[in-house]
Amino acid sequence: MSKTLLDRFARVKALQKTSNAGAQNPVSSGQMAKSGRFPESFVEQRLGYSPNIPEGAERLAELLGAKMVRNQYGEHLALRKWFSDVANGVKTDCSPLGHGMADERVDASALRLLVPGAPEVVANPRQWLFLDTETTGIMGGTGTYPFMVGIAWWDAGGLQVEQFFMRDHGDEHALLVTLAERMAERCVLVTYNGKSFDWPLLETRYRMTRKLRPPTPQAHLDFLHPARNLWRLRIGSVRLWELERHVLGWNRGPDLVSESIPETYFDFLRGGPPEPLVPIFLHNQMDLRGLAALSSRIVSLLAEHGIEEKDGFELFGLSRICERRGETKRARKHYEQSIALSELPLESNRAAKKSLARLAKREGDLTLARDLWEGMLGNSREGIEAYEELAIYYERHIGETQRAAEISREALNAVQQAKRSGIIGTGAYQQLRGRFERRLARLERKAANLPLKSVVVESAAQPCESNSREKPGGYHARIE
Amino acid sequence: MRTEPGVKDLALEPRGFARPARPPQATIHTVHEVLSSLAGRYRAHEVLTAVRHIPARPGQFVPMPGWVRPELADAYSAKGIKELYSHQGAAAELARSGKDFVVVTPTASGKTLCYNLPVLNAILENADARALYLFPTKALAQDQLAELHDLSTLLDDCFGVFTYDGDTPSDARKAIRERGHVILTNPDMLHAGILPHHTKWTRVFENLKYVVLDELHTYRGVFGSHLANVLRRLARIAEFYGSKPQFISCSATIANPGELATQLIERPVEVVEENGAPAAEKLFVFYNPPMVNRNLGIRRSYLNETTRVAKELLARNLQTIVFANSRLHTEVLLTYLQQANRPRPGQPEPVRGYRGGYLPGERREIERGLREGQVRGVVATNALELGIDIGSLDAAVMAGYAGSIAATWQRAGRAGRRSGASCAVVVASSAPLDQFIVQHPDYFFGRSPEHAYVQPDNLEILINHLKCAAFELPLAPDESVGRVPWQPICERLAEAGYLHRSGGNWHWIQQAYPADTVSLRSVTSDNFVIIDVTGENEGEPEVIGEVDFSSALTTVYPKAIYIHQGQQYHVERLDFDQRKAYVKRVNVDYFTDAIRYTQVRVLEIAEEQRIAGPAARAHGDVLVRSQVVGFKKIKFFTNENVGAGKLELPENEMHTTSFWITLERKLLASLPFALSDRQSGIFGLLYALESMAALLLMCDKRDIGTAVGERPASPGIEEDWHDFTTAMTDPSQMKEFFEPNLHLYDAYPGGIGFSEPLFHVHDLLLGRTRELILACPCEQGCPSCVGPAGEKSERTKEVALRLLEHLCA
Repeated sequence: MSKTLLDRFARVKALQKTSNAGAQNPVSSGQMAKSGRFPESFVEQRLGYSPNIPEGAERLAELLGAKMVRNQYGEHLALRKWFSDVANGVKTDCSPLGHGMADERVDASALRLLVPGAPEVVANPRQWLFLDTETTGIMGGTGTYPFMVGIAWWDAGGLQVEQFFMRDHGDEHALLVTLAERMAERCVLVTYNGKSFDWPLLETRYRMTRKLRPPTPQAHLDFLHPARNLWRLRIGSVRLWELERHVLGWNRGPDLVSESIPETYFDFLRGGPPEPLVPIFLHNQMDLRGLAALSSRIVSLLAEHGIEEKDGFELFGLSRICERRGETKRARKHYEQSIALSELPLESNRAAKKSLARLAKREGDLTLARDLWEGMLGNSREGIEAYEELAIYYERHIGETQRAAEISREALNAVQQAKRSGIIGTGAYQQLRGRFERRLARLERKAANLPLKSVVVESAAQPCESNSREKPGGYHARIE
Repeated sequence: MRTEPGVKDLALEPRGFARPARPPQATIHTVHEVLSSLAGRYRAHEVLTAVRHIPARPGQFVPMPGWVRPELADAYSAKGIKELYSHQGAAAELARSGKDFVVVTPTASGKTLCYNLPVLNAILENADARALYLFPTKALAQDQLAELHDLSTLLDDCFGVFTYDGDTPSDARKAIRERGHVILTNPDMLHAGILPHHTKWTRVFENLKYVVLDELHTYRGVFGSHLANVLRRLARIAEFYGSKPQFISCSATIANPGELATQLIERPVEVVEENGAPAAEKLFVFYNPPMVNRNLGIRRSYLNETTRVAKELLARNLQTIVFANSRLHTEVLLTYLQQANRPRPGQPEPVRGYRGGYLPGERREIERGLREGQVRGVVATNALELGIDIGSLDAAVMAGYAGSIAATWQRAGRAGRRSGASCAVVVASSAPLDQFIVQHPDYFFGRSPEHAYVQPDNLEILINHLKCAAFELPLAPDESVGRVPWQPICERLAEAGYLHRSGGNWHWIQQAYPADTVSLRSVTSDNFVIIDVTGENEGEPEVIGEVDFSSALTTVYPKAIYIHQGQQYHVERLDFDQRKAYVKRVNVDYFTDAIRYTQVRVLEIAEEQRIAGPAARAHGDVLVRSQVVGFKKIKFFTNENVGAGKLELPENEMHTTSFWITLERKLLASLPFALSDRQSGIFGLLYALESMAALLLMCDKRDIGTAVGERPASPGIEEDWHDFTTAMTDPSQMKEFFEPNLHLYDAYPGGIGFSEPLFHVHDLLLGRTRELILACPCEQGCPSCVGPAGEKSERTKEVALRLLEHLCA
């Protein structure tokens, strides 16, 4: 049985090497040749005391100056490094070290914009533990391993970075135990996209041991979402190294392509040389330092009375964050500021005005809202919406049916133009045109009707007004 | 010996299930009326080859077991269930005693109670207990959800029940994992969505008491072999969390439910077979379309005849389901029936289509329409064969034999779940299997249904699941996976770069997610999306459906007419790399049918034996190459061939297993026929063999492929790839076979376990094939025996029979 079975292996598709495996990795071709001879040496190695550890592990420790950490579950590599600055030779004024932030308390209310109801301890940066992992894949699931866990904390006027590395899967338990010990020392977890990636993955790893409970930090600050709000508009991407360049103003220098990381690690496991791993350690250090610097920047931007100077984009993003958390007053303030700076591109400027108008309307500040709408009129999506808002405003709040009808006619023009210039598609065009045509028909009928009748129509129209936006056909059907 | 399946098949709904009011039901009288108008001017016994009356039978009841919690007994009582059918009682007791078992029940015999009662009772006794229900389709899970919600309401919502599938919104998933006592899902979701993320399901796996496998009979062949491996993985994960769930399965009537269940869950299984549900009377009818040309064996088109039958039924206001055997035929029949049954102004379409490829919302709407009665007729593929609740219909019409006895009963069970009378009509196509069945009704009515085969240790399948298993949990040296020595496989996987050994355990070391690349249902997980670009210039292109990889090549090739909900679409472009087909709405009077060429090369002979003839039979490993090279345009209604086209599509290559018969030189030389007659006879024989093989194996004809190859000097020898199949259409152009191999191969990479059984039942196969050809009334061969006469030599039938005489000697 087993002989024929083995003979048939050659033909089984599922055993064939994926064509692109290793292709992404620039250094892999040489290593693949080497790993082709690997099984023999592997068999010999298996007889030794430590059967699992790839040959290169010892040399890796030497290369990095890493040491071995031992606990009741085994051992793993650990590398400690203290940095006086966040980037080599860069002492920018946004560095938290410059502000001495690590020794002060930050504005807790600013952080509660990110984590509503966060405990007071978040305001103490000495309790922060920055965390970033390097993994064997980005898909998650129980077969994805964080083979390197980097952590960092403010220490002695600088940043202390510590990296744990599993030389092989057998080191994982020991690594997780060490990490849990460090996390017990600092109770606020700080990450960049760790909320949806790194941390759930680590929790999975703890659960996979069936022995260790995942640590439970008191708060988890993740800076990806605020970074998106603040900078995506301006920079386009919010990858950490891009933010370093465009927000913090320094250049990382040579760094690896993060897509190549898993394959580099796999090559090492298959017996490849340890040298290609060194850039991964450096990359992880840079990510941690970038995160530390960025977090200081974001916190000071979020602080209500922060002295940080903000550009129009940041103000716009900030108002978005505030609005989402129900900080309407602050949101309005920042929208106004961002509009006033007039740095925003046309589209975002319109979005800011639209949001401000919406907030103003909600708070009953109809004059401001009206001014904003009037300033926005045009054949853009926001412009068309402004027509609609204005029509409603004049009809319902001012009672100027004529004016409302006039606006609806202008709106029909704008819709036509928007269609012609490709701003809106056919579907949207038909829907919008229908909406304004029905509105106009109603307004004209209302204007022409006898006063007595108009009261009747108005009372019928009122409840529909609010519905008409969700159900374009609703009003029409009633009138018929 | 089991009781005759027909008697068991028809059943009442468990009493008390509230259904919306519907028009009056059929009576035996109305059904007879339909039959006499069908027979019309033909001799009734020639077209109605069987009319069997299946009498009503009373139910067998047992009291609700004493251990059932009073609140649960009350809830069932509120639904009108105060006592149990005998099979429900037996199931409940087995569940109580902790045994794994399978209940064999026909459509609508109250099978859900067989698992819901013990599972809910266990949850009421221990609120931590969890159960996982697996249904072969999402639609079935949705259906069960409604039933369980009912019970949950009656029990003050003391347990949580949720579906978890591809349609579950991601923000709801966490809550489901935490609060769901009963999770309704499907094998695909378990495979790709749950097992690879089992740490998120800790709570469920730690307390997993029951796994329910409904519609067990659908887990055969490739799908079943995959499922067996998914269940191996499930058992591993459960064990990791310290639980050992009990397996409760339900199956439609098949010959070997216990064996199938044992193979799937790899544990001994008890079988509950005695059905205690009452049944109402039913007429089961075989309808053979009348001959239009006796010489050529041409009958009237069975699709047209099916339309006629359905029209007669619909005209008498009988709610009717029409089953077709392919998506294409569903759409063709739908077109015919919609033309005949136009909606009244302002009313919705009374006849609808239902098949895979329709979007979920559309399907739910049709199901509801059927239950509530606005939809009077539905044309469906086997998508509606399973237990989706569409209420009880009055009539089921099958366009063509369903391919197996089991599926035929299952489809017939769609009509007449309740009191009154109902009918099921099989309209035979001219395919050999259909003709064999309708001309030998006793074979159908007297025989137990077919066996279901699985091959969990198919290497291709097993290795794919080993990868998934390693991803989920490192493979430990002391684990066992089936009867297979899996350690050497892991070593190979490590060499290929998939696994890494550490501390004896095998770990996954790839970025890719193995479950993503393994589809349980077909060769690849790639689906082709079908995009309607008719209104490209005005609006956005619209995705109207999708087809799986293997059917894409035969349904959405360039210039094909693709039919969706009765609308024809012309395939403008097939983007093979992007897996997209761009189509435009058209209105033409033809449909298209793909022409596929296939070649087989023997790689390794597992067993070979000389047989009479002189000839040999063998089975072993082969390499199959196939390619869609063109298509035919076929006119609606007349089925005339009105054109053809050539195609250049990628070639498909697969390693699989095959059974073959080699005709030796001496045998061929002894035949007093011209070369072209001989060649034609060989293809004719293979055509007939294929039909009978499908019958003996209980497989879909699509699961077996056929090809004629040349016996090589030795296995694996490179030889010219000749277009042997081209010869089918023009025997005079063909190269002469020296010693041809007649291949019946498994149409799945790695083989699915048909070849060896065929090798062993070889005598039976040849005998039945001979019976088939002898019984066929045609003169020179027809689609019902050795294939359509038009494309072959006049002596095809004669040569095939002569060959069989030699082989059976």
